[in-house]
Amino acid sequence: MDKLNERVQEIVNTFKDRLVDLEQIQGIPVLYFKKENILEIAAYLHKTPSLRGTLSLQWAVDLNPVKPVHRIYYLFSLESGGDWLILAVDLMEKDRLFPSITPKIQAAKWYEREIRDMVGLIPVGHPDLRRLVRHEHWPKGTHVLKKDFPWNTVLERKEGTYSYRHIEGEGVFEVPVGPIHAGIIEPGHFRFSVAGEPIMQLEIRLFWKHRGIEKVFENLSLINGVSLAEKVSGDTSFGHSLCYCQAVESLLSVEVPPRAEYLRTLFLELERLHNHIGDVGAICNDAAYALALAHCSQMKEQIMQLLDRLAGHRFLRGVNRVGGVAVDLDSSQLDGILAELAKIEEVFKDLTEILFVNASLIDRLETTGVLKEQTARDYGVLGVAGRASNINRDVRRDHPFAAYRHLSLKVPLYQYGDVRARVRVRVDEIHESLSIIRQVCRQIPKGPASIEIFSSAPAGKWALSAVEGWRGEILYFVMAGENGGIHRCKVRDPSFVNWPVLQYAALGNIIPDFPLINKSFNLSYAGNDL
Amino acid sequence: MFRIIKKSLKKGLVTGQYPESVTPVPAVSDAARNKAKLFHRSLTIREVDTGSCNGCEMEMNALMNPMYDAERFGIHIAASPRHADALVVTGPVTFNMEKSLKDVYRSTPEPRLIFALGDCAIDCGMFKNSYAVTGPVEKHIPVDVKIPGCPPRPNEILAALLAVMDRRKKE
Ligand code: SF4
Repeated sequence: MDKLNERVQEIVNTFKDRLVDLEQIQGIPVLYFKKENILEIAAYLHKTPSLRGTLSLQWAVDLNPVKPVHRIYYLFSLESGGDWLILAVDLMEKDRLFPSITPKIQAAKWYEREIRDMVGLIPVGHPDLRRLVRHEHWPKGTHVLKKDFPWNTVLERKEGTYSYRHIEGEGVFEVPVGPIHAGIIEPGHFRFSVAGEPIMQLEIRLFWKHRGIEKVFENLSLINGVSLAEKVSGDTSFGHSLCYCQAVESLLSVEVPPRAEYLRTLFLELERLHNHIGDVGAICNDAAYALALAHCSQMKEQIMQLLDRLAGHRFLRGVNRVGGVAVDLDSSQLDGILAELAKIEEVFKDLTEILFVNASLIDRLETTGVLKEQTARDYGVLGVAGRASNINRDVRRDHPFAAYRHLSLKVPLYQYGDVRARVRVRVDEIHESLSIIRQVCRQIPKGPASIEIFSSAPAGKWALSAVEGWRGEILYFVMAGENGGIHRCKVRDPSFVNWPVLQYAALGNIIPDFPLINKSFNLSYAGNDL
Repeated sequence: MFRIIKKSLKKGLVTGQYPESVTPVPAVSDAARNKAKLFHRSLTIREVDTGSCNGCEMEMNALMNPMYDAERFGIHIAASPRHADALVVTGPVTFNMEKSLKDVYRSTPEPRLIFALGDCAIDCGMFKNSYAVTGPVEKHIPVDVKIPGCPPRPNEILAALLAVMDRRKKE
């Protein structure tokens, strides 16, 4: 085992007497504890000023039939965005109870509800044990990620009710919206409690789109899983497939050729670019500034047509594969990208010039939908929304993947956490992306764009991978199964982390501003619901 | 500011700046065409997502951008099914969305034209037989036109819509 870094060694020393086991996987220390100690240790990681651990992911794996064990993993990033550390707890045989860490760590709230729904383990002491993924009409005792649950079970529709939180008092009324909304967007249910104009409470209910992605993964082989990863969230097809491929590549101990790493970087930035540009337009449009939408949706379309010409798919599906990329670009294509982007950059610069001096627009964006830094920290908010609330995290810099270790990159950071800050982060990142793409085109090495895969992974081996998608940090945990299959694939889109804080950003605002606030986060429903 | 206005004026028309669809237009039955006839030269659509990956939504949205500008063909998006002539349904119909889909269908005035957009809506795609999916759309509501693709490109969607409306692009 490699030497542990100092901080981790210190943690190990502090809890030596309680540590059950210790291993290092892909350089990430994994510390096993007994379940009765987990709350104390998690709280220590979270609270200690020199560690400031953020819970990045919590998930459970049913190790049956190999071992009669359910294992719960807790991934922490020390000093937000820094080193990774995993805690693990084993529940033996029929044991279904584990202590909830939510009372000390807010970020665990949805993860623990998800674990209960999907794997059937119960977080004891959790403040909110309502169902999350399983809506009220699901039959009792359905825990789909247990190994003895067949993936193609036909569920029977039951009766049930879901209890919303209510605020009572004179003049308080509720406004339910959704799941199906006006406009072309995804389904979700929002329930506002208002007294007069301001929102007093917002309850968000999701998982309408739950398609059983994690279970469907278990039917696929490690190699074929890519095409499912592309469908987790369509707008982030490339980010998700890249993250999945990286996890499988490290499982198979495959080194991707350098040219593939650069091409992946290029495509990932192009995906970021068209989504960010589209968002800037859509946010302005929600503040009734339609001119920006017209320009931005046109630029977005130009990039998507470019992607179609380059890769044969507007969403870059089929480009990533385990071992590299299926599409190589020649130098005239690279020049073509630069020429097209130069045109777009010029238009975008002109547009931002008039955006941020337009008083009637800025007035709508400023102080609207403020997400406080402390709330963002407590929930471990990621990506654009995080950086607009002073959370200095970016996987591209903190855990460089693909070609990012060779490229220079500035991470924009704003403090106010309002809609304007989220627009600013996007605008800055658009310029950063353009700069990264130029660097890639200049530095891209020659060589093959992918390699053949001959290796395989032993069942039970796992790998973790992170990618900074355009919304924020995407995580994949992939555990190999028998014969090149998948035992467990945990998918975490940043939306899952950011959805719960939207209610805090909406507080005190008026309902007509909610679409604007929601758009400024622009979270994925599909990526969240899985 | 004036510099930008000047530039915009010089830029000219961007509508139509997209490649023509090269995939064959999906088959449209006479029954579907007859339904569309009732609405003459316009079609008001309500889009219903029953569990898509949001790729199909993005392409529907793209139809409204200045390059495709579907509005010029009388294609509008309605905010409520009660105002819609047609439903465009995406996704494999999840267990959690099944009821909402049926509700929307019931709220749409007859003779409601139903489009199944994307491979998921047509045959559940990769999610066929998953415990969480009860589709395809056809199983729950009658479908008039199927537009295949994952996702279908905006020009393909547009071509299909125009075929149903019996309109040519250059009208
Ligand atoms: S057809 Fe393809 S793009 Fe459309 S929802 Fe299904 S997976 Fe997504």
